[in-house]
Parts: sequence; structure tokens; C-alpha cells
Amino acid sequence: MVYFEDVDLGDEIGPLETEATDDGVVSFCTVWQSQMPNRFTDREIAEQSRLPGPIVPGIMSMGIMARLLTDWAGPAAVRDLDLVFRQPVPHHKPLRVSATVTDTRQEDGENLVECDILMTGAEGERYVGGKAIVALPSKS
Amino acid sequence: MYLDLHSHSVSSDDSRATVEQYLKWIAVLRKRGHAVDGIVLTEHRKFDFDMDYSALAAQYDVRVFKGSELDTRYGHFLVYGVSRALTDEIDFSDVRMDARELLIAARHHGAIAVPAHPGRFGIGLTEYIQQGEVFKDVHIVERLNGGSRAGENERAWDLCDSHGYLGIGGSDAHLTSHIAACLTYFPQTIDNEQQLVEALLSERFRPVWLEEARNEAAPA
Repeated sequence: MVYFEDVDLGDEIGPLETEATDDGVVSFCTVWQSQMPNRFTDREIAEQSRLPGPIVPGIMSMGIMARLLTDWAGPAAVRDLDLVFRQPVPHHKPLRVSATVTDTRQEDGENLVECDILMTGAEGERYVGGKAIVALPSKS
Repeated sequence: MYLDLHSHSVSSDDSRATVEQYLKWIAVLRKRGHAVDGIVLTEHRKFDFDMDYSALAAQYDVRVFKGSELDTRYGHFLVYGVSRALTDEIDFSDVRMDARELLIAARHHGAIAVPAHPGRFGIGLTEYIQQGEVFKDVHIVERLNGGSRAGENERAWDLCDSHGYLGIGGSDAHLTSHIAACLTYFPQTIDNEQQLVEALLSERFRPVWLEEARNEAAPA
């Protein structure tokens, strides 16, 4: 369990290292009730959309990034996740998600931790980046 | 002094950092022993004439200058020393503008334009030079860019070597903790945008990584 008092500016969260597989994306699209085949699951459809291949759905990338935060702070901790999608996220490539604490404050009775969060590739590609706010318990 | 010559606040559509968050973060970097004296906000495709950061700059003791990063048909260009006369002549929102016209207009109006991340695959100035385009008014490029992928800063370095360009450094920060990842060292004090232009024209500066920016005086 991580407590608000234990967190300092500059603390690193993660990394979470993972990969989105074809099967994983199909499973996600099934749960998401997205009609398949689509640009997330089919190479030909993706290439018709001028993509290099099937890509990871944005909301799935958000889920992966949220997992870093919930693994760290607990399942109900995330208050905000504001992301910018800079590049398509490919299947079967190493994905690294990490966060850096940039601010802490108490607001409306909650202990809030603000952090930068980033999903990068093996060559330093910045796929998705943004800001997250997480609420942590206090020791007191 | 050390200045980050390339950063984006929430005034740019793809940034999630406020100016105050950048300045707070610079306080963290200073506590760690790094020397960061100022930043230039180079917002995408515009210049924020109406934004006044002087109170924040004084509160955090960090110089906050304003510039722009413009899209051109030959890649992105950082512009320092922007004036009303320049924005009257050049449409900053025109993503297909000719960079050569921008370079000339900038100098005509007391500003200076510098290719951003020239080693970037697909969109950097290196790509266009390899296609045979000539940019006789380019003398300085962004040699260190904090947002570069592996190999891109090396391409910018090669470009400087092959063309005799001088290099600056900037973080290209869009997130708080990325500010000042790359900086430019100047031997003199710079207190406003016009002095920044003069310092760039003086050709006495060099790009540095944050790790090199320490409180002791840097060698020239």
C-alpha cells in the first residue's frame, strides 16, 4: 500500500512493460462490442486507412496505462487520465508505460498526486502521453 | 546561462503542462543541482501576444520568454523575437508556408527562425536537404531535441557537421517532467526575447543535455 506521505515530486511509478497481441486486441474488441474485422484486427483494413498494420485501440491503450496506476495505488484511485495520442500503437511491439510524480496536493478532502504518464516503444517512440491524477490514502 | 529554447504549454493543443507546472518542476531540478535559468514557450502555429508570464517568472525566479513553432512545407521551425510586424507578414497558421520566406521575413523583422528537430525521420530538414532542397539562410538548427527518437539527434549532429550549422538545444516538452531535458548554454545573461535573438546571432552558444547543466560556470 502506498501512502500520500510517502510520495515525493520526481518519484517514478513503474515501469509496466507489456505488449498488445493480436489475440489480446480481438478479446478487447469483443468485450468492447466493436464490430470486427476492423483496423484494429485486420491488416488489409488497416492498410486501407493508411496505417502500417493493425493498431491498438486508443481506449485499450488507456486501459493499459491506467493499469500502471491501479497496480500502484489501487483499483479506485484514478481520478483523471488526460492523454494525447501521438502515434498509432502497433501490435506485437514492446510497450513501456511509466509515470513521474509532478505535484501533490490536498483538495476537497482527498490526497491527490498528479503525474506525467507515458507509453513508449523500444526505440523511444512516444506513442501516448499525458497527465494523470490519483488519490492516495493518508497514514493519519 | 542555460535556457530551454523549445517547450509547449497548454496553449498548444497537444500539451498537458501549464507554465506554472513547468516552473515548479524547474525548482525540483534546481534542488537536484541542475542549472536551469529560463524557458522559451514555442507554441504551435501561433504567438501568444496577450499572455503575460512575468508574475510567474518573478515568483519562481525563472525567465519565461515567448516564441513560436511553425509548421512549414519543409518541417517545423522555431521562431524567436516574434513581433506584430512579423505576424502581419507571415500567417503563422499556414502549415504549407515556404520556410525560406519565413527565414527571410524573420530576419527582416528582427527575429530569427531555426529548424526544429531537423533529424526527425519523415519531417525533419535533413529529409528535404537529401531531396535536393537548399536553404541558404539556415545557419542554426536545433541539434538536441528532448523528444527525439533514437538516431534523430545523431542525424541532426551529422547535419551540423556536414553543413557547418550551429546547434541549439530544447526539450520540446509537452509534459511537466520533460521540461529542460535539453538546453542551450549562453555565456551571457539574457533578459528578453530581443536579447535572445542577439545572442543567437552572436554565435556564442552550445546545446547541452540537462545532466551537463550544473550550477558551476560552464566552459565556453
